[in-house]
Amino acid sequence: MTHDEVEILLVEDNPADVELALIALRAHKLANTIHIARDGAEALDFLFGQGSRSNYGSITPKVVLLDLKLPKVDGLEVLKAIRNDARTELIPVVVLTSSKEQRDLVDSYKLGVNSYIQKPVDFNQFQETIRQLGLYWLVVNEVPQPAESPPIR
Amino acid sequence: MLRVRHYSISKILTGMNMLVSGAALLLACGAFFAYDLITFRQAMVRHLSTQAQIIGSDSVSALLFNDPHSAENTLSALKAAPNIVSAGIYTPEGQPFAAYWRDGGGQFLTLPPIPSGQTEAHWFKDRQIVLVLSIVFQGKPTGTVYMQSDLQEMYIRLKRYAGIAAIVLSASLLAALLVSAMFQRALAEPIVHLAETARIVSRDKKYSARATPTGNCDELATLIEAFNQMLSQIQERDAALQKAHDELEHRVQERTTQLGAANKELEAFSYSVAHDLRAPLRQIDGFSQILADQCGPQLDLTAQRYLKLVRDGARNMGQLVDDLLNMARIGRQELVRKPTDLNLLLQSALRDLQPEWQGRQVDWRIGNLHTVECDPGLMKLVFVNLLSNAVKYTRRLECAAIEVGQIMLDGAPVVFVRDNGAGFEQQYAHKLFGVFQRLHRTEDFEGTGVGLATVHRIIQKHGGQIWAEAEVNKGATFFFSLAATSHGTSNTNILRQLVSYDPR
Amino acid sequence: MKRVSRTDPFQSTPPNHVPRRHPRLLPRLAALAIVWALFSVSGLHAQRSKPAEYEVKAAYLYNFGKFVEWPAKIKAASADAFTVCVLGQDPFGVTLDATIAGETIDGKSVVAKRISKPQDALDCRILFISSSEESQLKQILATLDKTNILTVSDMLQFTRRGGMIQFILEENRVRFEVNLTTAQRAGLTLSSQLLKLAISVRRSSPLGD
Repeated sequence: MTHDEVEILLVEDNPADVELALIALRAHKLANTIHIARDGAEALDFLFGQGSRSNYGSITPKVVLLDLKLPKVDGLEVLKAIRNDARTELIPVVVLTSSKEQRDLVDSYKLGVNSYIQKPVDFNQFQETIRQLGLYWLVVNEVPQPAESPPIR
Repeated sequence: MLRVRHYSISKILTGMNMLVSGAALLLACGAFFAYDLITFRQAMVRHLSTQAQIIGSDSVSALLFNDPHSAENTLSALKAAPNIVSAGIYTPEGQPFAAYWRDGGGQFLTLPPIPSGQTEAHWFKDRQIVLVLSIVFQGKPTGTVYMQSDLQEMYIRLKRYAGIAAIVLSASLLAALLVSAMFQRALAEPIVHLAETARIVSRDKKYSARATPTGNCDELATLIEAFNQMLSQIQERDAALQKAHDELEHRVQERTTQLGAANKELEAFSYSVAHDLRAPLRQIDGFSQILADQCGPQLDLTAQRYLKLVRDGARNMGQLVDDLLNMARIGRQELVRKPTDLNLLLQSALRDLQPEWQGRQVDWRIGNLHTVECDPGLMKLVFVNLLSNAVKYTRRLECAAIEVGQIMLDGAPVVFVRDNGAGFEQQYAHKLFGVFQRLHRTEDFEGTGVGLATVHRIIQKHGGQIWAEAEVNKGATFFFSLAATSHGTSNTNILRQLVSYDPR
Repeated sequence: MKRVSRTDPFQSTPPNHVPRRHPRLLPRLAALAIVWALFSVSGLHAQRSKPAEYEVKAAYLYNFGKFVEWPAKIKAASADAFTVCVLGQDPFGVTLDATIAGETIDGKSVVAKRISKPQDALDCRILFISSSEESQLKQILATLDKTNILTVSDMLQFTRRGGMIQFILEENRVRFEVNLTTAQRAGLTLSSQLLKLAISVRRSSPLGD
């Protein structure tokens, strides 16, 4: 699939958080092409078409919404992997996390994150944030085409 | 008086010896010689008198029989007495009869008269003795003998004495020197050695040095012994001190490590707390909102209200978590002191707070603040907190007045933030800065009770003081001062200061 | 044996000068008389300023007594007086008395006595034999033998002939000569003080006459 097919890769381990995010996205009609990865490994499998996703090949979404606290492979490791691979290095990554710690910010930006958002506790604010996010990264922002097409099975 | 202060002990000893012996000698010599000379003079006079008498009796017949030649013969015997300058025999009428001059021809001298009642008289004049003797033969004055003697003998004697005195004096001074040299070893050397040792010890701080004992039993030996004992004591104390210091250092190291570990734990803890607490809160809030949105119309007002309360609770806790996290972070943070212009900080804080008092009538009175050594980031937080409070608690007023300025108290500058808002009861002022402590109800004024605690912590870290005065509904004034010097308030620094004594 | 004139004791006349009788005597005598007269005049002057010969001799006479030691019995015997006698023609005159007046020797007052014969001299201490007795000298001395009297005279060769002290004029000065042996024979001790002043001290027996 091309990135046209998957616009958002949401990497989030907490199901409730996932649900909230989806509700927010749906509310703003941004949830069309969204793939959920429940941990870092899944995210990488999805992006590189490996492991459990070896049948599908590498997929490059328009934006990756990445939580930091993930089981198996940590958020920052995922980010690092994304930036280290030629297939995925150009994909915009937005860290979406509860933490506002300086350390997380610095590490993320050092690893080449495109944006860092702290998820507000307040749901209204959360929704608004999602809306802005979606609007910006899916509509306003421009992304380059992927370097190569994945093999078609 | 001699400048004895500047001389060494040996020199003083030697000088003393020489002075004493010299003085004693001179006095003794002087006394003896004086006595001797006096008696010698008397002896000279007696001798002269005797000679005159002999001459006189020998010349009686010459006088009686008018034979000057014979008298001259008698007188010429005086050649044998080199001290006789001249001698003469006179007739009873006072006329010169015969004479003798040691140095050849001379003139007859006028005979000085003999005082009545005496047969003999003598005078000392012109460095000579003049003696006049009346010759009485068989009761009848037969003539007068006149003798003139010089004092050469006496002078020679004097010179000889002076010579002897000089020799003896030199000899005694030499002896004094020798004696001093001998006693040096016994007296001066140990003292000098002791002084030298003391000097070395105090200069090089070498407390292991010791003064060598003399082996005597005198006060000096006692002094040396006591000195050595003192040094031993100092050494012991030094060792004990060093040991205590090392122990303390070790303990400080331990504590520091522990603190470091504890800090790290706290960091990790607060980080994960913050992160992990936020997610559920968000979920609570989120789903309650969704519930309210989706099922709102179906719910009665009470249910809706309950949902709202759920959301409020979640939101509150979120704020609390943020505040707590902040406070924890500030508590851990190392103070970075820089000369900071508080006015600029204030302006920056005011800008940040702009949204909070947007649309309200606020009378800002900003005074001139000084430049201090402080952590700019943290101090800004102080201002933000205090001003935020001021804005918050004047919310109900038509026209809020907030004043920021600086006063001098006991020579130190104190910054104040004053508002004319709700104020608080002064009797509870001591609770102001406690964590989670609030003096107002949440329905009147929201808040977590952490802001002031944070401010207090920051001021404390700076080594300053913060306090407040207020009256209910009349407003509140918060005062704070910053310490002029940078006292390290972290435990490590205090410990380090306490053990900074170095015995070396 | 010239008798020296009293009036010129200190002229430089050699002693024992004997003028010889000369044929052309008268003119010489006349000349001599003139000279003598002149000298006597000047002698008178001299007499006023210098002591007279016999004044001096008188003083010497009694002064001898101070330098002579008499035997103890004599000293005890002679009462309170020290007698100085003059035998023969007295050449002293009042001079002697004047000189000895008030004087004492050995605590005894000195008195003068004039005698005519030696037998009267027994209580004398000092005896001045005048030159007038010159011819009797031997007898006088023989009489005085065994006595303790000091014999003094100014006659010539007195000491040669046995006298004890002889006055001699020398250069206008009264000197004396001593015969020690005679004096010692008479039991008298003469003080060395006296002897040293003598022109000569004889130690000899008297000459035969």
